[in-house]
Amino acid sequence: MDEKTLKPQAHETPELPLPSRRTRLLAMLSVMGPGILTALAGMDAGGIATFSVMGSNFGFAMLWSDPLTCLLLIVVQETAARMACVTGKGFASLIREQFGIRVSTVAMLATVMSNFAVTVSEFAGIASGMALFGIPVFVSVPIAAVTAWLLTMSGSYRRVEKVLLAISCVFATYIISGFLAKPDWAHAFHDTVIPQLSGDPSYISVLVASIGTTISPYMIFMVSSNVSEKNLGERDIAGQRADNVSGALVSQTIAWFITLTTASVLFPLGIKIADAADAAKALVPLAGQYASAMFAAGLVGASFLAACVMPGITAGAVCEAFGWERGTDRSWKEAPAYRGMVTAISLVAAVIVLVPGADLFGIMMGAQIVNGMLLPVLLVCMVRIASDRRIMGRWANGRTWNLLTWFTIVLVVVLTVVMFAFQAIGY
Amino acid sequence: MIYLSQLVGNPVFDLNGERIGKVNDLGIATGEVFPRVTALAIEGPSKTPFMVSWRKYVESFGESEVRLKVVATDIRFSYLQPSEVLIARDLLNKQIVDTRGARVVRVNDLKLSDTSSSQLRLLGAEVGVRGILRSLSPTLERLVLRAAKSLGRSVPERIIAWNYMDLIDRDLSDVKLSVSHKTLDELHPADIADIIERLDPRLRGQVFAQLDEERAADAIAELDDDAMAAELMGGLNDAAASRMLSEMDPDDAAELVSELDYDKAEKLLRLMGVQERKAINQLLGYREDTAGRIMTSEVVLLPEDASVSDAIRAIGELDDDFESVHYVYLKDEEGRLSGVVGMRALITSDTDARLADISFDDLVTAGPDDDQEDVAKDIAKYNLLAMPVVDDNRHLLGMVTVDDALDVLEEEHEEDLQIAGAGRSDSDRSQAGSNILWLLRSELWFFFWMAGIALLATIIEPQMGLAHTLRFALALPVAVIAARDAVSFTTNFYLEFGPEDEDAPSDLGFMLKGLGLGLLFSAMAILIATGVEAVLSPGRPLDGEGILVGFAAAAISIVVSFLSTPVYLGVLRRRDASNRETSGQVLSSVAMVVAVAVFVVATVLLSGAVLV
Repeated sequence: MDEKTLKPQAHETPELPLPSRRTRLLAMLSVMGPGILTALAGMDAGGIATFSVMGSNFGFAMLWSDPLTCLLLIVVQETAARMACVTGKGFASLIREQFGIRVSTVAMLATVMSNFAVTVSEFAGIASGMALFGIPVFVSVPIAAVTAWLLTMSGSYRRVEKVLLAISCVFATYIISGFLAKPDWAHAFHDTVIPQLSGDPSYISVLVASIGTTISPYMIFMVSSNVSEKNLGERDIAGQRADNVSGALVSQTIAWFITLTTASVLFPLGIKIADAADAAKALVPLAGQYASAMFAAGLVGASFLAACVMPGITAGAVCEAFGWERGTDRSWKEAPAYRGMVTAISLVAAVIVLVPGADLFGIMMGAQIVNGMLLPVLLVCMVRIASDRRIMGRWANGRTWNLLTWFTIVLVVVLTVVMFAFQAIGY
Repeated sequence: MIYLSQLVGNPVFDLNGERIGKVNDLGIATGEVFPRVTALAIEGPSKTPFMVSWRKYVESFGESEVRLKVVATDIRFSYLQPSEVLIARDLLNKQIVDTRGARVVRVNDLKLSDTSSSQLRLLGAEVGVRGILRSLSPTLERLVLRAAKSLGRSVPERIIAWNYMDLIDRDLSDVKLSVSHKTLDELHPADIADIIERLDPRLRGQVFAQLDEERAADAIAELDDDAMAAELMGGLNDAAASRMLSEMDPDDAAELVSELDYDKAEKLLRLMGVQERKAINQLLGYREDTAGRIMTSEVVLLPEDASVSDAIRAIGELDDDFESVHYVYLKDEEGRLSGVVGMRALITSDTDARLADISFDDLVTAGPDDDQEDVAKDIAKYNLLAMPVVDDNRHLLGMVTVDDALDVLEEEHEEDLQIAGAGRSDSDRSQAGSNILWLLRSELWFFFWMAGIALLATIIEPQMGLAHTLRFALALPVAVIAARDAVSFTTNFYLEFGPEDEDAPSDLGFMLKGLGLGLLFSAMAILIATGVEAVLSPGRPLDGEGILVGFAAAAISIVVSFLSTPVYLGVLRRRDASNRETSGQVLSSVAMVVAVAVFVVATVLLSGAVLV
């Protein structure tokens, strides 16, 4: 785009004309994208469900966790992006080259399992969101699956990225519905800043879920592969930081508004909900039809966004680790593994949601468990690569950042263990 | 035969059977087709690695252990020589280029073979699935092999020999390689370009930097993606980049420079030799997509009275990187182009013959501002290998060669296809995906119909009831498909007649023709619908309760669609003039949206009027 403006006009001058200021701004903006998109894709069906439940069941009492998860999100995403900027390689490539084939096979297997389960949950999210508009499952899911599949299979990454960023505008609906819910702002801000702890097992399990759904394994792969795909280098690290921080801020602001909405409408009346569609349904008589429709539209858009990126990220990571050809611009003949995997994940996930009486809740629980076990492994790999000066040079992790990453790892491990313990004793 | 995966991690014992560490890596001497293993890297008890000479110290090796000839205290460490490569560090798990298959692969394992009792050689890198299985666990490999065998299949090893590998991550340029080593440099530039396109963006730059300048220049000219070429140039240091530009044919170089950002282009041009810079700047002075832009200034131009031997000498004195010579052009005393001598005439004539006597003077020429497509078509028409480009005074500026003309035709063909709505013509794209996309594209009207019904229903359903809404919407497809056809009417016209085509009807003519078609079709639609209505409900007055309102709205929409064809034509021409690609698909989608909107508005007005 910007090169075009540089082309000399006709014969008058053989010298090149001056560049416009706009070109430089565009160059800055062109670095943005991977971080925001990843953070937003993380705010998927599972995320919306968790944050709705958080508000409806505990009111404002858990709003304080939002800035904390935001910080953790920034730590993880920034590290992943920085690694990709320095090495020019995706995370899967780095694992393979640093830790060998066994570790990467295990990591890839787990990634496939967890991302597949997440994809299933996205389709389930689309189904329940569309159902609120009266559209039956057997209509919404096939259409969504085919559209998502076509989007991942056709065209260049740059074009797909633009489409996805456009889709992610639906998140504005949550902010609107937050305002429509007329919350008690002063109270909400107070509770955001002042933590309130509780030993209530369900309180803790929602807390675990909120961290688990925000920081998930795929995001490391997604950020790093998008960054290396864009061939961002060390001088783009500043831009990447801005990108990732703003991405995390935006996604956690949305989370805050979701919690705010359900907390100010459903919590005072003691309406307990189990998922996002419940929340939207419960909103109708209280906050009006529009708030509810906004909520449902957001759910559909968010799930669709994640369903679009998930198969591609998974297949890309696996192919990267094993050295198979990959990418949206490769044909079936050139990249059978990549295309096959994308197709299989989208297709099977959609079919599972369509099967009547499928245990969707069980699948999502399974996804959570695999995520919980995989995340610390990947984070340890990540922190070891990121703090290795031979690989990262002067961009290696500083002490604070290492400390924060380890804190994240310990937190995730502890929370996962706690959650399993609760599940074992029957909560 | 043994694999690296079976050796790494094995315990190392000295003469006394004392365990001194485990195998960490092997060093190879890179000078041979099957390089000898020269060094053993051992990881000692305190995790510190050290290297010893393989030939001097290793007594035996196997899948379970390595034994040394001496006791631990007698070992002297050695250091990695510049000509040595550590195979676990530099090869295993890394991406390499298979220069025979011209592909990028990842090394899963390395196959070694013992040629004598103590000598071990690297046979090659295993890049297939067996390497993955074996590295996971040898048992797994055996199980899979057995399973495959029982199904009557074999899982062959895919080995790439050392002399067909090119390392990407480690620059081997300072390692002395054997003569037989086939590196990326030796591939055809088009193959190099293919490999480069398949690499991760960062590796592209690294691989590219390893090529020698001439190869790099050829390869970059072969890249299909101009943006990628510009990015690669951007990654080079300025001196190297400008040398490479000098190395390229001026027309390719000019194209590349025009893709670079201003500062970079300026800097590179300044670093170049005066001659080349002049050539490139001159080409850049012409508008894009003209003969001037794609011509090369490297032509052989001689005075008329020169002899054949003069011509042969002149050709002999040219640089190696001179654009290939197809013709010798002649100029008269005033420097005007006066004739051309083909290679064949040059070879078969007496050496002292005057060129003017054997020349062909009925020349087909092009001006520098002529459209590149016209020039390419003329080259095809007159069966030329190159067409001279002259200025107004018939001074020779350069020539457009047939290879550039072919590129132009291909490019224009693709653009035309896209305007015609067929999408990109990459034939080797995913078949399944593109078939579905093709279907979706051609049946797009259906989605607009459905969207139109939904829109119509939200607007008039509350007052008119569902049955009426549907009755109206029955006519919507006619309007939508007519809109699509109006666009293809426009694109056909556009593709058939360029803006400067003399036999093209005038724009007014085009508009009137479009209007006529629209009116004709809408009249037909209304008439036939009236007839059908009469058959459906004989004897009833035509009061708007039936399907007629819908068809009237459709007729209005059809006329609007055909009336707006000059607008679409204008858009196509404007975008072409500013060199932007236009997708026919987008145009027809826009047209269909407009048609739906017009239809809905017309229906609301008509039905409302009828009701009132």
